Amino acid sequence: MRSAPLTAAVFCLLAGVALAATPPLPAEHLTVEKLPPKSPHWVYVFDAAFDNEIDQRIHLFDGDTYRRLGQIDAGFTPGFNLSPDGTRSVVATTYYARGSRGTRTDVVEFTDNATLASAGEIVLPNKRVMTAPNLFSVAYSDDGHFVYASYVTPAASFGVLDPTHQKVLAEIDTAGCVLVIPSGPNRVSSLCESGRLLTVTLDGDGHEASRGMSEPFFDPDKDPVFVQGIPIEKGYAFLSFLGAVHEVDFSGAQPAFAPVWSLVTAAETGHWRPGAEQVGAIHKKLGRLYVPMHEGGEGTHKDGGTEIWVFDTASHKRLARWPVHASGFANVLAVQVSQDPAPILFAAVANSDVLILDALTGHVKHVEKHLGQTPWMMLNP
Amino acid sequence: MRSLDQLFEHSSRSLARRTSRRSLLGTLGQILTGAALLPLLPIDRAGRAHAADAKPKADSPESCEYWKYCAIDGFLCSCCGGTSTSCPPGASPSPITWIGTCHNPGDGRDYIVSYNDCCGKTSCGNCECNRNEREKPMYRPSRNNDLNWCMANADSNYHCSVSVILGVAEK
Repeated sequence: MRSAPLTAAVFCLLAGVALAATPPLPAEHLTVEKLPPKSPHWVYVFDAAFDNEIDQRIHLFDGDTYRRLGQIDAGFTPGFNLSPDGTRSVVATTYYARGSRGTRTDVVEFTDNATLASAGEIVLPNKRVMTAPNLFSVAYSDDGHFVYASYVTPAASFGVLDPTHQKVLAEIDTAGCVLVIPSGPNRVSSLCESGRLLTVTLDGDGHEASRGMSEPFFDPDKDPVFVQGIPIEKGYAFLSFLGAVHEVDFSGAQPAFAPVWSLVTAAETGHWRPGAEQVGAIHKKLGRLYVPMHEGGEGTHKDGGTEIWVFDTASHKRLARWPVHASGFANVLAVQVSQDPAPILFAAVANSDVLILDALTGHVKHVEKHLGQTPWMMLNP
Repeated sequence: MRSLDQLFEHSSRSLARRTSRRSLLGTLGQILTGAALLPLLPIDRAGRAHAADAKPKADSPESCEYWKYCAIDGFLCSCCGGTSTSCPPGASPSPITWIGTCHNPGDGRDYIVSYNDCCGKTSCGNCECNRNEREKPMYRPSRNNDLNWCMANADSNYHCSVSVILGVAEK
């Protein structure tokens, strides 16, 4: 027992010698991280920050490394979108001079997606639409020449913007139809209360050249469509509350409507239905549609999916049902799928987690806890 | 042909302008609240039977299950210093809003309610409630709860929401 203190003293001495022999850490230099080359497995996660809406933001997240790469600030009830080549982000938002009060400024802000640094802005008239996240509050033309900003005061119109010279070119009245669905280099379609699409064609200066109104393509009384359109090869698919799939081809001068098909069988209709903030995602090359589905009646269209159903967009057959809720996760409020041959499905759930799934098998590869406060929309890079 | 084109263009533009005004008036007419408009308000009774099936779990105005909140989306002003019919101190009511029809299981009647937002302060953040009976997307603004109805206030910050009875939905 007497030898124990001696042994301890010898040990400490030796350890001290060893520590002294270790070279000190070098001085560090504060730098700014650079983004690595863009990956198809990145995703922009729109956090609506519902508990403090004046501070919404977009998180750039890597679905391979499960790391946050950076952030784009987005202000109050913003719209968000990407340029066609993915090099720019655009946020349409509102600020008050003193935070929650003072002079109001509506503005479109650009971000360089290679650096996440600010790349200019365009001040708007104070008319910008303030609504839940969707792809059509602000959007680029297909060639990136114009940016369109939806206005609702509640009178509906939209602004035509020049992102190169950063100025407002025109305001186009939309006769009560809302949002800006871009197509081609100079067309903008808006959803109307009658179930029709108004399409305005612009001249080279961004002013109205012509307009046309489609026939109704859905019944807004019996089975309205969600405004969260899902990009397809030549336009967007709109899902209805009861599960009808309306594929709209926007590649021509006027929109064309494909035959409607359904996510549900006759027996499932009215029982199982889509519901979410971002209600579907499509892998264009694989032709797979992912939809958060739940059992519920009228009025449950924002309840979120207890399952994700997978469909073949060519055959319209259901390929799989992935039981998210039964696997212990909260209901799915937003989905996005990467567009590469080994796709990832991102599923944002009601407790703010984002699930990363193998989009071919449904295997949950990772759960990213609390990716923001209310992650309600996700965009591919 | 050129003059014909110009004629059609002129008539189209003229039609568009007239349509626009009518639509604007129609939209405003639907969403401006006021007793004078009440008899004109469209009332959707189709879903009433279903609404009656949804029995509230609580009769407290601080509960999301309270019957008047059948299509509210936001923070309950009752939990933010106000009540189901009053804004919290210092906040401002939205002059424009949207309307719904809710079933009161207490007396078996359907009521037309006005969902006003209270504005001018940032999100209350308490008692979030999202119910959507007969709610429609924003192309039907008079039935939509995604829009920020503080949009026309001098300060459009959204704070919380109330549900105010406008009257009994006549059968």
